[in-house]
Amino acid sequence: MMKILSALIAFCLAVPAFSAPLELASEVFVERVQKRADGSTATVLEAPKLVVPGDQLVFVVRYKNASAQPASKLSVTNPIPRAVAFSGTADGTEIVSVDGGKNWGTLAQLKVPKADGAFRQALPSDVTHVKWNLNQTLAAGSAGKLVFRGVVR
Amino acid sequence: MTSKLKFLVATSTATAVLMNAGSAHAAGTLVGTDVQNNVTVDFQVGGVNQTAATASNTFDVDRKVIFTVAEAATTGTTSVSPGQQDAVTTFVVTNTTNDTLDFNLTGAQLSGGTAEHGGTDVFDVANLQVFVDANNNGTYEAGTDTATTIDNLAPDASVRVFVIGDIALTQTNGQVAGVTLTATARNSDGTAITAATDSTANTAGIETIFADSGRDGIETDGDDFTVATANLSVVKYSRVVSDGVSVTNPKAIPGAVVEYCIAVSNGAGAATATNVNISDNLTTVSGVTFQGSFTPATDGTVVNAGTSTCTPGTGTGSYNAGTDTVSGTLTNIAAGQTRTLVFRVTID
Repeated sequence: MMKILSALIAFCLAVPAFSAPLELASEVFVERVQKRADGSTATVLEAPKLVVPGDQLVFVVRYKNASAQPASKLSVTNPIPRAVAFSGTADGTEIVSVDGGKNWGTLAQLKVPKADGAFRQALPSDVTHVKWNLNQTLAAGSAGKLVFRGVVR
Repeated sequence: MTSKLKFLVATSTATAVLMNAGSAHAAGTLVGTDVQNNVTVDFQVGGVNQTAATASNTFDVDRKVIFTVAEAATTGTTSVSPGQQDAVTTFVVTNTTNDTLDFNLTGAQLSGGTAEHGGTDVFDVANLQVFVDANNNGTYEAGTDTATTIDNLAPDASVRVFVIGDIALTQTNGQVAGVTLTATARNSDGTAITAATDSTANTAGIETIFADSGRDGIETDGDDFTVATANLSVVKYSRVVSDGVSVTNPKAIPGAVVEYCIAVSNGAGAATATNVNISDNLTTVSGVTFQGSFTPATDGTVVNAGTSTCTPGTGTGSYNAGTDTVSGTLTNIAAGQTRTLVFRVTID
């Protein structure tokens, strides 16, 4: 059993005339490889009913401008749950943080301190936050989605 | 069963706070941990910052039963002696499940076939028992290690398990007894685990799946005992050292000195022989008298079996005039090694 509710909204005031609802939903799926009767395999996305360490997860963030006004400078921030090891996004346009959101950059730009004080290249599993800065304006009524993957630690 | 899937609606707060969602174990995120994912969108309308939109969802981590049973290092067959009591072989049960589990333990014996380390199983040990290493010191202690099941083995923890048995006195060198240890996962309260299978319909709540080999919650490993006993053989050499007349090639004439060399050999692959005592009662040898000027020597070697030549060793034996007996104790004789007792007599 599982229900998907959409999650959303939270905005308000500032300039009442311009306040526009942005609908936002976060979903997660478990990626499984299933065998077909003919022996071939298919990758399917399932609701996270049975999730154990090592499972591959697909996180989907859906957003929609439900207002009558265009929205701009969308910045989508998603902290990675601690029990999940980030393994990448679908589009590759994200920036990430490996220090709890203090510093941001592409993964290749970030370093992680080692116990001896030296630094090493950051790895996907070091990522604590992922963020997309969307440059284009989101017209009224239009929608989009962002996808990233992780593994249950 | 299934873990819950909840889509929560979170409101406000431009900076989402991440909940602590379990710690990093090799066993993985602990069972029942809520994994909450939050997303925040900042945006502008008409060039004016708006309050961020947020959303989140949460699911629970289910239980993944996975564990191993393996022979403890150093692996290899366990050498035992005939008649040995409580011969011990050690296994390690490692729980990499994301939950604390109990384990039932069962020891068993092979009946023929190839044992763990390649030998052929030809006998069973007596009184086979299985005990948990209570203080995890790797040594079986009869009064201490009494538990026969593993209680509450934490994620990523491991515990040693001893399989012990008695070796009959009649077993001979090289014989192999194969044993196995089987561990069955149980809930931490000792009850049996009901696991979901691929065909089980999911329900709400925490589920268990078996992820061990065979996906049955049962793991087994084997080891074996190999009898290693000493395989001694004895040869008694004698040569005439001097006869008081001949310059070379002394003859066994009255008054001649004769050297006896008792050589004890241990067979290849045998266990080291310890406490090897030799005694030679000269009253059974008519016509000779112990030569007191030459102290019986132990731990020498046979230089030339053809000429019965031995090198007296550095150890010393003894002569008991009352019983007319020569005796000596040899140092431990390893497999393939020979040690001697050398003494001299004169011909009456």
